[in-house]
Amino acid sequence: MGPAEPSPALNRLRQSLAGIDPSLAPHWPEHQRLIGFEPSIDIALSGGLACAALHELAPAAASHAGAASGFATALAARASGARGEALWVATDFAFAEGGGPYGPGLDLFGMPPARLLVLRVPRAADVLWAMEEALRCRALACVVAELPGGGAEADLTATRRLSLAAREGVAGLGLLLRHRATPAPSAAATRWTVAAAPGRPDRFGGLGRAAFDLSLRKNRRGPCGRWIVEWDHHERAFRPAVPVVVAETVLDRSDRAPFVRAG
Amino acid sequence: MWLRRFSTDRIERRLSAQADAPRIVVATVEQAQRVCALNDAAARLRLKIGMPLADVRAMYPGIAVAEADAEADRNLLEAVADWCDRYTPLVALDALDGLVFDVTGCAHLFGGETELARDLVMRLARQGFHARAAVADTVGCAWAVARYGDFAASVIASSPLEGEGSRSSSTSRMGEGSQPVDSSLPLTHSNSLTRRRSPLPQGERARDAGAGFATSTFIVPPGKTESAILPLPLAALRVDADVAADLATMGLHQVGDLASRPRAPFAARFGKELLLRLDRALGRLDEPIAPRLPVPAAMAEQRFPDPIAREDDVLGAIERLARRLAAVLERRGEGGRLFQVALFRADGKVHRLELGTGAPLRDPVRVRKLFEERLAALGEACDPGFGYDTMRLSALVVERSDPAQTGLAAPDRAEELAHLIDRLGARFGLRRVNRLVPQDTHIPEFAVAAVPAHAVRCAMGASSPSSRSAGRGEESPEQDLLSPTRPIRLFERPEPIEAVAQVPDGPPVRFCWRRVTHRVVEAEGPERIAMEWWRDGRGNKMTRDYFCAEIEDGARVWLYREGLYGRETSNPRWYLHGLFA
Repeated sequence: MGPAEPSPALNRLRQSLAGIDPSLAPHWPEHQRLIGFEPSIDIALSGGLACAALHELAPAAASHAGAASGFATALAARASGARGEALWVATDFAFAEGGGPYGPGLDLFGMPPARLLVLRVPRAADVLWAMEEALRCRALACVVAELPGGGAEADLTATRRLSLAAREGVAGLGLLLRHRATPAPSAAATRWTVAAAPGRPDRFGGLGRAAFDLSLRKNRRGPCGRWIVEWDHHERAFRPAVPVVVAETVLDRSDRAPFVRAG
Repeated sequence: MWLRRFSTDRIERRLSAQADAPRIVVATVEQAQRVCALNDAAARLRLKIGMPLADVRAMYPGIAVAEADAEADRNLLEAVADWCDRYTPLVALDALDGLVFDVTGCAHLFGGETELARDLVMRLARQGFHARAAVADTVGCAWAVARYGDFAASVIASSPLEGEGSRSSSTSRMGEGSQPVDSSLPLTHSNSLTRRRSPLPQGERARDAGAGFATSTFIVPPGKTESAILPLPLAALRVDADVAADLATMGLHQVGDLASRPRAPFAARFGKELLLRLDRALGRLDEPIAPRLPVPAAMAEQRFPDPIAREDDVLGAIERLARRLAAVLERRGEGGRLFQVALFRADGKVHRLELGTGAPLRDPVRVRKLFEERLAALGEACDPGFGYDTMRLSALVVERSDPAQTGLAAPDRAEELAHLIDRLGARFGLRRVNRLVPQDTHIPEFAVAAVPAHAVRCAMGASSPSSRSAGRGEESPEQDLLSPTRPIRLFERPEPIEAVAQVPDGPPVRFCWRRVTHRVVEAEGPERIAMEWWRDGRGNKMTRDYFCAEIEDGARVWLYREGLYGRETSNPRWYLHGLFA
């Protein structure tokens, strides 16, 4: 483990120092950091995607694997902000099956590869171990763990461990990327199914920005829903893809359910 | 050194056979199977090295014969050398059946040179090795005495070196054809221990302590090198057998005969090698030994009266050692980059765990943490067996490490990240924790290289995103607003697909990837990438036309057609190379 957690007094001192000279401010706010999407999604997530928590992603179908990785990359880019570091963990098999992260492409997409660490591990259990270790480390802004197949290793117990680790860390965003959506229960804060949406052509008639068809399947802090967003890789921001929001009716509010079941 | 019973010891250890049964090892020399090693029982039968196997069989039809296995001998000798590392870090292999130690400054840890040698021989004997150890001022002298010295006389006579009898007995052995067979002693595998400028008092002798093992150790007191080596046969000088035979025909049998004569004729007749050997043995020239393992920059060692086996104990001991090591390193202003823990198992096996770090390190808690990962990753491969009786932590590579002022304004993330990389590296191997570093090429699969993260740590701080965004501002913003031209995931080897294009040069209309047919809705391209003819090997491949294709459900892929239609190939093949978001 790293050095001990600094005392509150030191944190207060740091805050007052940051008030005097903004350049001395920490790289990112220490707690309660939220990643904003666009307004309609932020309402459902009560402010934005919570850092220091575990979130699950999976492609809607095998052909959308690229979109799921793209969404994870976009979130990592937003979470790491201007100076944060991100770690991408996957098994050798996952990289062989879905391709490895490609530096020039990531750079164009908004995630500079100079701030990305890539770890290849032999087994899926190692992915979980490395993710837990990395989430506890307070130097990383985002950890993406990729599991081939349905990722049966990341069961309820494992995801609960990871959630705890993410909470103990300062503000690391934990993303668990499965290659296939699974109905198995998990302790993640949210669960998303990602599909690529047909993009709008740009002014020159070429392929436009990447668009995602996001389905929020599980949400501990609000309703589920479905949105289509575009990723502005230049500004590193999500934009509504179409002027009219096509969210599903907000009826299934898992946070208001009378019996809250674990998972 | 020279192989005598090492091979038979190896076989007997494996078979746990009776050592008193005659046994020989044969190898093909000069188109005939000849004896190349034999044990004591065989030696008592007056068998000699170099005898043809047929003769031996004729004399003793029932004798146990084994094929020589030089590789197994070598491996075993390496293992023995590993084990001997407990006495001194400077252990060198000597030919096929010997080891050379530099015990300068180590002997007092074992209660003196005599005790050290006795301990060594006794422990080796328990493992089934017949060993002879000699301690002397020079490597050459120790070598000579270990093989040719009269060990029995060293115990019986109070000062055998000056005794005429000892010298003559050596000479008479010479007559046996430079293959002395001392049937009274269970000796096989000799060890030379070299002492340099030992602080011990003169006249120390192998005393009768340790019963039989005293007869296998021989201490040449400091300054007595000449008297010890001069009566020995010339073969003890590590010269070739034919040189020794030539000298014998000239009437020179002992080292002393050579040393007392003018040097120039010998140099003219036999070359410099002979006199070099003589000078080295007598200490007139320094002889370096080549340790088989790198000499650590700093190390700490702990012995345990009772072997320890629990992982917690081992890690605790590592932390204690690291604390001692940190004190040494701190005094020098250095930190370790490569650490090694040597765990000496009670039964002689040695485990060595190495780990590298990204930055100079001396914090004992972190060192312990790293080794914890390493042990966890090894799992069953590092079996403590009956426990470890000696542990050694060494810093093999050190670097300057100045104390750094930590900032008050913001906690230092870089150090914490470095430690995370070290931990992941200790667990999975440092080669698996990578950063993507752009390369100077436009071939997509070579445009980025995965470089171990600990190697590019320094580069990371330099490329701050502010400079990047500033650079972007200067470019035309239109360029950035277009969709990315490179995929975010790239397959290590492009996956072959079956594609149908409307025109030979055009983008595909349909393609089949992983047994699913996709219809292309929109395609951008081609982007033509020619191979780099100026680099080796790459120029022979065909030009590629890349297309970014959006299929009917919105997913985007990166395809290419290999070969220019009509010019390079008439039947171009299609590949899928990457996935866009």
